[in-house]
Amino acid sequence: MSRTSIIALLIFGAILGYFLSFGSETTRKFQSTVYQWLAPLFTTGSGLQKQITSVRTQLKSLEELERENSELQVENRQLRATNQALRDVEREVNRLRHALQYKERSVFKLVPAEVIARDSSTWWHTITINRGKEDKIDTDMPVVTDEGLVGKTTTVSASIAVVLLTTDENCKVAATVEGTREQGITSGERVASGLTPMLDLNFLSKQANLQPGPKVYTSGVGGVFPSGLLIGAVKSFRVRELDGQAKLTPGVDMSHLEDVFVVTGRK
Amino acid sequence: MIFFFILLVFVLIAQMAEFFIPTLDWMYNAHVYIVPVIVFYGAMALPFPLMLALALFAGILLDVLTVQVIGGKVEISMGWSILLYAVLAGIMHGLRPLFIRGRWEVHCILSGICTSAIVLAQYLMITFRRGSIFFSNEVWWQIGGPGLIAMLMAPLIFWILHWIARVTRYPYLPEGRIE
Repeated sequence: MSRTSIIALLIFGAILGYFLSFGSETTRKFQSTVYQWLAPLFTTGSGLQKQITSVRTQLKSLEELERENSELQVENRQLRATNQALRDVEREVNRLRHALQYKERSVFKLVPAEVIARDSSTWWHTITINRGKEDKIDTDMPVVTDEGLVGKTTTVSASIAVVLLTTDENCKVAATVEGTREQGITSGERVASGLTPMLDLNFLSKQANLQPGPKVYTSGVGGVFPSGLLIGAVKSFRVRELDGQAKLTPGVDMSHLEDVFVVTGRK
Repeated sequence: MIFFFILLVFVLIAQMAEFFIPTLDWMYNAHVYIVPVIVFYGAMALPFPLMLALALFAGILLDVLTVQVIGGKVEISMGWSILLYAVLAGIMHGLRPLFIRGRWEVHCILSGICTSAIVLAQYLMITFRRGSIFFSNEVWWQIGGPGLIAMLMAPLIFWILHWIARVTRYPYLPEGRIE
């Protein structure tokens, strides 16, 4: 090994040791700073992704039209494309109106946010939103949609924040089952057993005998999540050695999240 | 040196791109990882000190953008990904003479294996923290899937990077000359 390589190895070892000595708070601060540097890339990437998706959807609809109507003329195709574009606008308007109504009728102070990126790692379920400290967002704030609970904020930089989804094994939420006195803690699965991630509701009583259907809400215990937010619905129940465990279908479809709200307090 | 900086930029772009590439439903939601393939190419193309620098950069990015601090605890401490990248890149670097002789296939296969090794190491580390180790079909797909994809992507990525190396007149590639 050459002298240069040995020096490089020593410098590398020193830097590695420096990073390995980071505590949780230092890690969070460092992450927050880097996220802030990379915020423009996230925003650009999100915009590009939307454009690509939009083009792909449009091409697909044109292909479908061609298959369905082999005799379709150019003018007809243009009209249909225009119609499709208008439908997209209408859907967007409806979605935003729906979100606005939810914000107005909600008992919480909500900060609307847009999902700009999804998790890039295998073992953590997160999304990145375009709101941060500048919008008075802090760590451990609940994130919701009008359909229910999405998760909580973890790393927050000035203009973007990372949200840990309820489908992550580390996102634990105190919960109560509708129509019963049963209480438990929900968490996600480390690895989804199916294509749709499910939630586990642990620490139920062995006598709970839950049938599929009842809804599960946050109980408000723990201080992070306010009570009454929909988490999901019971899909199945099983008795374990020490407790009962229910599988839940999440109330929110995490794979199609576009707009979310960060709960910053009560009105 | 220009080529090294190009690789750094590519690592950054690839790391960001991974956020926007959807998971593969048909492979138990396996993720597509591009960064390891670029780092492993760099491990073969760059001299040892620059290889370490590339591993350091990629490891920091991976740690910063994926590791979660929850309830005041970090599951995988900052620095572990740097170490992982450095060790695996070191192995690839050891096979550099083979690559310079034009034997790409070994490194393409190794890129896939090493990508899976990174995901497996992450799984073992979080399992150590969370407890209850298990290896179901889904877990194997989550670990093996990214490796398979990396293996398939490797020839194309290697070819593109190889072409860029030639364009930038990177000196490691004089035909027939092994350093």
